[in-house]
Amino acid sequence: MNAIILSAIWAVIMMLGSFMVKRKGNFRHIAAFGLLVLFVANIADTYGYSLFNFNNHGFLQFTRFGYLFNSIAIFSSLIYVLITGKEISRYGNHTAEYFALIFFVMCGVSMLAFYNNLLTLFLGIEIMTIPLYILTGSDKRNMKSNEAALKYFLMGSFSTGIMLMGIVFSYGGTGTFSLDVSRAGIPNLYNHVASFLEIVGLLLLLVSLAFKVSAAPFHFWTPDVYDGAPSVFTSFMATIVKAAGFIAFIKLCLVRMTATSAAIDWKMIFAIIIIATLLVGNITAVFQQSVKRMLAYSSIAQAGFMLFSLFSVNDFAKEGILLYSAAYSLATIGIFAVLVKMKDYTFEGYNGLAKKQPLLAATNTVFLLSLAGIPLTAGFFAKYYMLAAVVKTGSYLWLVIVAVLFAAVSVYYYFRVIQAMYFKDGNAETEAITPSFKAGLLLVAALIILIGVYPGIILNWLYF
Amino acid sequence: MNSIVSLVPLFPLLGFLINGLFRKSLSKTAAGIIGSGAVLLSFIISVYLFSDIKGNEGYIVNLFDFINVASFKISFAFQVDQLSVLFLLIITGIGFLIHVYSTAYMKEEVPADFARYFAYLNLFVFSMLLLVLGANYVIMFIGWEGVGLCSYLLIGYWFSNTDYNYAAKKAFIMNRIGDLGFLLAIFWILGKLGTATYSEVFDLRNTLSETDITAITLLLFVGACGKSAQIPLYTWLPDAMAGPTPVSALIHAATMVTAGVYMIARSNVLYAMSEVSSDVVAVVGLATAILAGTIALYQNDIKKVLAYSTVSQLGFMFLALGVGAYTTGVFHVMTHAFFKALMFLGAGSVIHAMGGEQDITKMGGLYKKLPKTTWTFVIGVLAISGFPFTSGFISKDEILISVFEKSQVLYWFAVFAAVLTAAYMFRLMWLVFFGGFRGTHEQEHHLHESPAAMTIPLIILAILALVGGFVQLPEAFGGKEYFNEFLSPVVPAMSHEGSSVATTEYYMLTGTVIGLAVIYFLTRKKFAVSMFEGVYTGVKKFLADKWYIDELYDAFIVNPLNAFAGFLKSVVERSGIDGLVNGVGRFVNYSSRQVRLLQSGQVGSYILFMVLSITVFFLVFWNQDNIAHFLTNIF
Repeated sequence: MNAIILSAIWAVIMMLGSFMVKRKGNFRHIAAFGLLVLFVANIADTYGYSLFNFNNHGFLQFTRFGYLFNSIAIFSSLIYVLITGKEISRYGNHTAEYFALIFFVMCGVSMLAFYNNLLTLFLGIEIMTIPLYILTGSDKRNMKSNEAALKYFLMGSFSTGIMLMGIVFSYGGTGTFSLDVSRAGIPNLYNHVASFLEIVGLLLLLVSLAFKVSAAPFHFWTPDVYDGAPSVFTSFMATIVKAAGFIAFIKLCLVRMTATSAAIDWKMIFAIIIIATLLVGNITAVFQQSVKRMLAYSSIAQAGFMLFSLFSVNDFAKEGILLYSAAYSLATIGIFAVLVKMKDYTFEGYNGLAKKQPLLAATNTVFLLSLAGIPLTAGFFAKYYMLAAVVKTGSYLWLVIVAVLFAAVSVYYYFRVIQAMYFKDGNAETEAITPSFKAGLLLVAALIILIGVYPGIILNWLYF
Repeated sequence: MNSIVSLVPLFPLLGFLINGLFRKSLSKTAAGIIGSGAVLLSFIISVYLFSDIKGNEGYIVNLFDFINVASFKISFAFQVDQLSVLFLLIITGIGFLIHVYSTAYMKEEVPADFARYFAYLNLFVFSMLLLVLGANYVIMFIGWEGVGLCSYLLIGYWFSNTDYNYAAKKAFIMNRIGDLGFLLAIFWILGKLGTATYSEVFDLRNTLSETDITAITLLLFVGACGKSAQIPLYTWLPDAMAGPTPVSALIHAATMVTAGVYMIARSNVLYAMSEVSSDVVAVVGLATAILAGTIALYQNDIKKVLAYSTVSQLGFMFLALGVGAYTTGVFHVMTHAFFKALMFLGAGSVIHAMGGEQDITKMGGLYKKLPKTTWTFVIGVLAISGFPFTSGFISKDEILISVFEKSQVLYWFAVFAAVLTAAYMFRLMWLVFFGGFRGTHEQEHHLHESPAAMTIPLIILAILALVGGFVQLPEAFGGKEYFNEFLSPVVPAMSHEGSSVATTEYYMLTGTVIGLAVIYFLTRKKFAVSMFEGVYTGVKKFLADKWYIDELYDAFIVNPLNAFAGFLKSVVERSGIDGLVNGVGRFVNYSSRQVRLLQSGQVGSYILFMVLSITVFFLVFWNQDNIAHFLTNIF
């Protein structure tokens, strides 16, 4: 509860701050402080020190899993603000508002971590997405940014429509918005498990959530929006927001999909989505010329891996999705932080970076290795848990093989960046690099390696 | 207090680390003191252990669990008993002398290389100590591999010379072939018994079938062949002369080549159970002794002669092991360590004086300028030839008697090998030290005795070579076999009792004296003058060219393998694998270009795709049973 309410309050504080604080540069410090407060408050909440105790009538459910994810999300945002906060003020004059929007997003994220009702799910999704439409279009004088925002809004509205329809069907089939359903006494159960209406509703919910996590074939908005949006915000969207989408998704799967799995073969549906996502993400990323666009496709490909947790919905998958969220968020934030500093976003723009900025190149290499899932980085264990979860279910083993093959493809486009940085001659031009920025990158790289060596450092929180 | 043994390998390891890590900043004096000092400290502790273990039970010192997987456990443990302590003394004692000698011999090197040299030397000693101290075959294998690595590093010490690198590679590869045998033996033991610890393996030996025992012992022997340079894996040892001369002394006397003998002596319980393996060991050993002896007869490189003599003497050791005289084999390791180290260091002194010249046809008459080197070397020659009551006489005598009791045929072959030994050694002695000088004027002018750091080790070793055998003087000559007694808790001795043995001893003594006298005059005549006329012909050429064994290996193994590798590279790799791999890459690239077109930028078409997909999902839901059925049929 702390995180939901405090993030909303802090968002308001940030908005007021735009009137009261004169120096633009101070906003990011206020924001970073706010995230720190959120982080501490959320941890306190985990151990039962809640500031706001009131009855939410079962609309929210506070679990260890939700708390831990929320902590990871807030911590990632904190890192994000610390190393790219400076860049946020580069777009327009309304820096404080951008930070305010980020806090609104965090409010939605927290809601998704704890929702236990389709209405809170809807609220969380919308609170999270609407600020993103604005952030996407925040580079007002840039046509691409405007185009991306409009596209995002149009398609986002479409998926919202589908989601609402799904919720309505589900309500029609069960008589409740709550996730916990008693299906006894409902007439005409399909396969004696759930009403047909509910299944249709769940299918539609699945589609809309697949849209949010940019799973194929509902991913089309992703490359255009990620490419068009200012890079700093792409970074935010591709990491924390996407991970939150997955947390919402896996919760729905754990409760509703598992209960109805005798009526509809969800594994088959997810298998189709996973294959499509891995294929589109990985294959398309191969041919991209811009690193930013490549990262957009790579985020689709990574989503393909995260979908495995929805496929296998067991304890391993729950642990895995947390690890994946942390690993993927940290690495992507790092890569985008470097990308934002580059003058040229194409692969050629990275040529010879290792000679000019050895530390940037080295840390960027760690991030890329983590995304590719190379051992000793967090990405390895993240992928390992995902695939192990599927192996534990004992079916669809061929899917694991397909995933590994696509992971091999992904090595190609991630290593293209490393190759450009280290083995090609060129004059990679960057913005001015401050020592604190370098320190931030080093911290992220160290975290990635730490998690890669000892993944229990995160997962132990689930149980203690 | 027991764990003091872990200090023995620790000091050389530290020496290696210090010299290795700080080689750029250490002065030569510092590097030399650290290198030699580390081994000296180990030697002092070894002496303590020796005085401690005498007449006591051996014990095992567990340091930590090396491998611990489920029920399978291998601990990093040291075995302290009479056999291992004896080897500790040889390794650290002789090793220390060689280190001291090296400080003078290598002083032309630049400081960084000098420290590198001592780092390798320390690592070598460390590996050998690990090999000897390990309480199970796995730890022995670690040391075994370490020794192989260090020999590679030291033989290729002057790595800018391609030939030397080639020799280093050859040593490494030959050793690896042997190592494979050793490794298979370890796997076999682990597979059958679930443990590699000596005491446990030996306790459980009766649960093994005869085939198991034979296979294990033969595979172990393959390993020993590699490390101890026996037929067919001996060819690396003569080439190993590429390293600095003290390294040769280290390899030939104190470390490395004795590893195989140690291993078989350690496993004597197993070998005693297999008649076949023992016979193989004996015959291979004897054949090696003779083959190497004949080759040594016509080599012109001073180090090559000594190298083949080592191979030949190792053959003697294996012969002893093969006929069941395990203590005798180990005893010969010890005496051989004395006189072979002595002669190698002596050869180093000669080469040093000759300004790098190694060809004995260009030497001669060195006794005038190098008295200390000459007389110590002569003692070495007498010892290796078996001059009565030198250490070599006593050990070789005992080998011959043991063989005699086993088989008359083998005995006469062994005698022949012993005659060969005396022959090539006397030849070497005549050509190098006596007669007139045959080198250039500058060389003659340059001749000088070596510094004290080199001659003092020579003198110590000469004394040992002379009197070191008395610890095992046969009773027939009024001695007592202290050596056998010392080792008896670990290695059973072959008893030679009764009056017939004494008679044989006296016959052998007489025979040796007469034989040596004959060889003395023969070699003096045969080799002194006619040697330098030019090329060898006939049998001599055949022997001088080492029986063309290297050429044989090249023709039948190396070249066919190279050709096969070339085929794999040019055909399978280039067109097969590369084609496949690049094909996959091209395919992915092509797909990428096509799939990319879906991303048209038109919101309308995106929405259309989404709606179509939703429809597909409903269709899948509708037909899920058919699809599931279809999928199970495929996978």
